Amino acid sequence: MHALAATWWTVLRISLEERLVYRGDFALSTLMRFLPIVTQIFLWAAVFSATTKTEIAGYRYEEFVAYYLLTMITRAFSSMPGLASGIARDIRDGTVKKYLIQPIDMLGFLLAYRIAHKLVYYVVALGPFALVFFLCRGFFDGWPAPHMMAAYVASLVMAFLLGFFLEATIGMIGFWFLEVSSLLFVYMLFNFFFSGHMFPIDMLPGIWGELVRMLPLQYLAYFPSAVFLGKVTGVELARGLLVQLGWVVFFIVTSRLAFHFGVRRYSGYGG
Amino acid sequence: MAHIEIQNLSKSYRVYQKKEGLAASFGGLFRRRYRTVEAVRGIDLEVEQGEFVAFLGPNGAGKTTTLKLLSGVITPTGGTARVLGHVPWKRENAYRRRFALVMGQKNQLWWDLPAAESFRLHQHIYRIEPERFDRTRDELTDLLGVRHLLSQPVRELSLGERMKMELIAALLHSPDVLFLDEPTIGLDVIAQYNIQRFLRHYQQVRKITILLTSHYMKDVAALCRRVVVIASGRIIYDGSLSGIVDRFGGHKVISLQFTSGQIPADLARYGEVLSEVAPRARLRVARNLVPEVLAGLLARHVVEDVTVEDPPLEEVIAEMFSSAEKPTVSQLGQVPELLEEE
Amino acid sequence: MHAHPSYFRVFLTFARNSLVRDMTFRGNFLIDTFSSMSWVFMNLGFYVLIFHYTPMIGAGSGWGKYQFFLFLATTLLVNSLVQMFFMINVDEFSELIRTGSLDFALLKPIDTQFVISLQRIQWSSLGNFALGLTLIGYSLFQVGALPGPTQVVLYPLYVACGVAILYSLMIGLAATSVWLVRNQSLFDFWFYITNFSRYPMEIYRGTFGTPLRWFFSFIIPVLVVVNVPARLLARPLYPESAADWGLPVFTLFATLASLLVSRWVFNRALLSYRSASS
Repeated sequence: MHALAATWWTVLRISLEERLVYRGDFALSTLMRFLPIVTQIFLWAAVFSATTKTEIAGYRYEEFVAYYLLTMITRAFSSMPGLASGIARDIRDGTVKKYLIQPIDMLGFLLAYRIAHKLVYYVVALGPFALVFFLCRGFFDGWPAPHMMAAYVASLVMAFLLGFFLEATIGMIGFWFLEVSSLLFVYMLFNFFFSGHMFPIDMLPGIWGELVRMLPLQYLAYFPSAVFLGKVTGVELARGLLVQLGWVVFFIVTSRLAFHFGVRRYSGYGG
Repeated sequence: MAHIEIQNLSKSYRVYQKKEGLAASFGGLFRRRYRTVEAVRGIDLEVEQGEFVAFLGPNGAGKTTTLKLLSGVITPTGGTARVLGHVPWKRENAYRRRFALVMGQKNQLWWDLPAAESFRLHQHIYRIEPERFDRTRDELTDLLGVRHLLSQPVRELSLGERMKMELIAALLHSPDVLFLDEPTIGLDVIAQYNIQRFLRHYQQVRKITILLTSHYMKDVAALCRRVVVIASGRIIYDGSLSGIVDRFGGHKVISLQFTSGQIPADLARYGEVLSEVAPRARLRVARNLVPEVLAGLLARHVVEDVTVEDPPLEEVIAEMFSSAEKPTVSQLGQVPELLEEE
Repeated sequence: MHAHPSYFRVFLTFARNSLVRDMTFRGNFLIDTFSSMSWVFMNLGFYVLIFHYTPMIGAGSGWGKYQFFLFLATTLLVNSLVQMFFMINVDEFSELIRTGSLDFALLKPIDTQFVISLQRIQWSSLGNFALGLTLIGYSLFQVGALPGPTQVVLYPLYVACGVAILYSLMIGLAATSVWLVRNQSLFDFWFYITNFSRYPMEIYRGTFGTPLRWFFSFIIPVLVVVNVPARLLARPLYPESAADWGLPVFTLFATLASLLVSRWVFNRALLSYRSASS
């Protein structure tokens, strides 16, 4: 246990060092991630200008911009770059064996590693993020009420866990199929469109909206942002959080099962 | 006019330092240390047409850097050079169609396609007439025995076969000057032998000028009469291979066979004992001490057989390098890999 | 031997070799085509959704639903051409120059920029190109206006100018990796900057919008890349006044300037090139 903690601390330290080596790069690239928001600011202004409506799908113009900014935060929690492809690669080139031989729980290790990375990222990205949000404070109606804030934070943490276990499950498919990258790409595509990253899911009319809300993807970008903006309240909010939790549990179980059966299959090949 | 003329050619690099540790990384945010590595330090050389010259030297001596300067791939920090009358780093098309550079273990051919396709590309780039191209290609592939491999993707060929294809690609446009950088490195003995044989034949027939760098003494001994030894970016010897031993061979090896069947216990006072397997022994003795040592040994012991030989060439050369001037930086020319950010 | 290589022949060989290679990895080819086309449909879906709620993007801008689709189609055409001919090559170039593996290109008696920029053709982008053409056809039909002779001639010209401007920006940026080692952010930079080119310039209004529009039209001319040909086709259908010609004429200058500047940067970068040691 102590060894694990020590490893984790080293990983943290190395990640921080790594980030700092490419220092100029990092501050710049974090700020640049917000550049598409600039175009969104103008785009939605143009969209609203040609119509008399003050709200589209329940969002005012300012709320659209606030929404996109919030999805940046949610994405900072739920995106897992390299997780699925890393697992698939480890399976493909046999590195996964070390998890089978040594007493390390693969998922647990990857989770700890990911947490370390994310923490470092938050520390270093705090500056640029704070700057942008400060500059754009005019688009927000202020902070949500304390209990909403609590719900928001809870949904962010769950978004992290959901993102992790969902992508880990996809990576595990590497035990059955060699080419996970194409599947991954399809996932990314759907994720971008149906998670609310591209537009608030409320915009989808009728049956489309209902179908998309049945997917877990909305909790990776849309849900926390909508909670912050007060678009989800009361019973709906409670239900949403529970469903999100349900999905998290579902994928924890799925990834564990996938690992268990995947390993069995893998060892069967005399690896 | 000599084919290759080099005067006082120099090339140095700036390499940035990175220190270990978290605190140092923070420090790196504001200030950066660098040191200058001098890969080539003022070399002078003249090579006539039709010569086959070898560059010998330890890793990082500047051999490959010199070849790259002569190919125009990099630009020098000082000095001049002319190959076939052109300044290489001007990268004129007229020059580029008259020479070729082949680097061992580096692939210039398209990886996923058959070599034949890469050759076709060469034909168009160098604008070689079709009949001439076909003739040259057939000639070269026959000489190297790879005709049957032309339509196989390059990635499926063995290392030796790939190297042969690289050589062919380099010679398709019949260059007047050929630069070879470690062409047989990593190849098995048979492949090495084949390539050596091919190069010797080709050079004899075409009388082109070839500059070869190699680690392997066999390559050098088999192919080149003239050897240029480079260490720490400078030329420390330029002449024949045998001349190296004469000039730098500081020691000789004396082999003795004792009639008594026993090796004297005090053998070590005559020189460095290399091996002792009764009744034979081998001693390493400084050149100038050989007569004295021999006289002493023969006076005190009955010797059935004695030979005095030069040490192996590799040893001589290794000694030559270690006695060469020490470089100004701790690591010789291990350059662009250390290239840090910005 | 003649003095110059036949650039045309060499280009054809590049195209052919790339096709052979792409067909060898047929699976990847199909997946690439499928995924890039899916991406296009998703984007299209997004805008269909937006026009569900508004009749026009930018009041009085003239970018109604099908005019905007013409704009999107133009974006598609320009980007698919850039992806087909240049994207992989320029990306590889920045990697080559960074790792010192550019030697092979410097040794051949042919223009280095030519070899570097065109050695691989990504045939899987043809799908998007076809989609772009289809979308143009469909949108013109919906708008109910046939393009006149001026447009038929000028539209391809300005699409080519747009491709040239984007290419110059890409290769100029990639060339700088010879001085800046870690250049990942440079490519993100390029992506984010060209992100501005995906929208009609009319949306950039107001205190912040107008200088932005000016900057991206005249300093880093990414806005003219899609806007000029798209406007030619969509709105107005025939350029009405002398003022309307200002931007198209400027685009020609911008194209030339971009190509010249990027070539200069490219050549400077080659001078500072360091080959990897063996």
